[in-house]
Amino acid sequence: MQYTEIALWAALAAPLCIGLLCTILPTARIALGVMCGCVLATALAGFFAIGAVYTSGTVFIASSWLFLDPLSAYHYGVLLLVFCLSSAYAWVYFSQELRAGHLDRRQGRLFAGLWCEACAAMTLVLLSNNLGIMWVGIEATTLVTAFLICIQVSRQSVEAMWKYIIICSVGMAFAFMGTLLIAASAKGLDLASHDALLWTVLRENAQRLDPRLIKAAFIFLLVGYGTKAGLAPMHSWLPDAHTQAPSPVSALFSGFLLSTAMYCIMRYMPVIEAATGNAGWAQRLMIGFGLFSLLIAAVFIASQKNLKRFLAYSSIEHIGIIALGLGIGGLGVFAALFHTLNHAVCKTLAFFAAGRLGQLFGTYDLREIQGALHRSPVWGAGLFLAILALIGVAPFSLFMSEFFILKAAIGKELFLVAALLLIGLGTVFICALGYLLPLCWEGAPREKSEPGRFVTGEAFLVYIPLTALLVLGLWMPEPLQSVLQKAAHIISGAAAATSLAGIRP
Amino acid sequence: MTAYIEILMMLLILFDMALLGVSRLRTCITVSSLQGMLLGVFTVFGHTHGITLRILLIAAATFLLKGFVFPRLLRRSIREANAGNELEPYVGYSMSVIAGLVMLGAALWLGARLPLSSAIGIPLVVPAALTTFFTGLFLIIARKNALTQCLGYIILENGIYVIGVAAVVEIPVLVELGILLDASVAVLVMGVAIYHINREFDHIETDRLDTLKG
Repeated sequence: MQYTEIALWAALAAPLCIGLLCTILPTARIALGVMCGCVLATALAGFFAIGAVYTSGTVFIASSWLFLDPLSAYHYGVLLLVFCLSSAYAWVYFSQELRAGHLDRRQGRLFAGLWCEACAAMTLVLLSNNLGIMWVGIEATTLVTAFLICIQVSRQSVEAMWKYIIICSVGMAFAFMGTLLIAASAKGLDLASHDALLWTVLRENAQRLDPRLIKAAFIFLLVGYGTKAGLAPMHSWLPDAHTQAPSPVSALFSGFLLSTAMYCIMRYMPVIEAATGNAGWAQRLMIGFGLFSLLIAAVFIASQKNLKRFLAYSSIEHIGIIALGLGIGGLGVFAALFHTLNHAVCKTLAFFAAGRLGQLFGTYDLREIQGALHRSPVWGAGLFLAILALIGVAPFSLFMSEFFILKAAIGKELFLVAALLLIGLGTVFICALGYLLPLCWEGAPREKSEPGRFVTGEAFLVYIPLTALLVLGLWMPEPLQSVLQKAAHIISGAAAATSLAGIRP
Repeated sequence: MTAYIEILMMLLILFDMALLGVSRLRTCITVSSLQGMLLGVFTVFGHTHGITLRILLIAAATFLLKGFVFPRLLRRSIREANAGNELEPYVGYSMSVIAGLVMLGAALWLGARLPLSSAIGIPLVVPAALTTFFTGLFLIIARKNALTQCLGYIILENGIYVIGVAAVVEIPVLVELGILLDASVAVLVMGVAIYHINREFDHIETDRLDTLKG
């Protein structure tokens, strides 16, 4: 067995086993420490494997049931990044909760265990070549993360958890139906049991799949995985779950859980497009769902009173933008993948800051959090800049990826799409600025409070992601560009390669 | 063989109608348990490829899980939550049965249009599966009680399962077992969620879970 294969197995097995171990450790603090160590070790193994994929090509393990190709390697890289940042933040956040007595030993251990299991489940989704295993993985993420929402049990968190579990389970049932229909459409291929549902096999033989069944399947898949990704109108679980979950969990949800489901849709797109004669049928659906999510989110953002809810709707907006990019195709796919990374980094940072400010102010109510910059220079600045980046202010990298998507839409002469995109982004921009200014500056704080301390460790959590966003906005390194192009090539096939030639931000 | 499978499918549809028309939760759970056992039997005979060890394994797992384990979990939740009947569903019981008939019609229409039915050779299988799928969805949407919604999820899964057995010949056994495992954990997680809801709110009526809005 080669080193790369060993690394992949280790990256899958380590969080699975250590997650179980965490639940029996003596104290919450030790469990959190072991969890951080586990995530770091997983990340080392994972990045080693990702490096190998980009230098020497796709790696297959478990007799081709699991694999890492440029598309999954890119997403896996983003996943590891989000997990490393969020784990470090979870340490900071829960240390505070432990000091304040809001978290007991059992809850701390449960959190650490479930966090590692969530990492393992998402890794399984990204590594699956077998579409059945992919479904099993994503259903497992639903079940594991359901308890993460109500680690700290309260009426609201239980309500949010119930909505999450019932809506996402139904969504997953739809996705399962879609997976079965895909398998049924491959009947003409006479595949052996072992090869049925293998993505690589289906991709090669896509032209021979039954197009009627494929279309029915994609509708089920889009509704199913779209529910989990938070595409409107299946998004209703999302704002509640994000608001009620502890902030590290919200960061993980927004940062990568939604993208995991989006990744599943990306996997299916090339198969569906090839099976339906490359007529852009699946792409039109994606444009529709993407635009609808963006506009719905814009409407709800206009009337928010809760900071985390505002960020949750912003996630729906950005998932909509990613779907839109995928739907436009060509440069749009490249931009959508770039946006996945940008949004993951930026939204985790925004939830980090929102969580710590929430702890300081004791509320997430936008009308009561005022003068955040005074109260905590580090997190106040973090929130301010993260939200600026989220609403697409130049020169942050989210501006660049949104600009590429707009350019792709105009390039394909989809002027109505471009106009609606601009309307959505503009609405969010104006409303968010309206919240942001009082949030950071306005008014003297209610009670006389000491100006917050500048904590170096926490400052790293803010400035590392911010610097990354800023640098990526101004200059895209050659390796990243080639990684994105390889990943985009898998989704859109040969058509994208030519249109990507002239991009240089 | 065809005649037996048709009888099984008729029973499946009848169970769906019973679920829609019955108000007593315990009776609903018994019906779902019978439906689960029926699925186990169907797994053995619904295959065109003859009986293999793989099929027997999956049939046994289905029979036990859907016939005994799930109903047991649900009954325990009833005892804990002290929930007897669904008092005021969004849609009344006779209206639900009428809706069930409409769903049956839609399923027959859809089954004839999807190129799935020709693959198995027995025309009733896909419509019966779709009816079960719609029934599950209907129970989740039209009932307020969290337990009935959980039951709806099980019925929804049953419908998909029938399509899986009949229309998809070769799914590797490991994947099928993974899927069964996921479904059972989902029911377990819902059970725990119901326990928490009951403890926090003293009831399990989901329409009264309305603090989170906007």
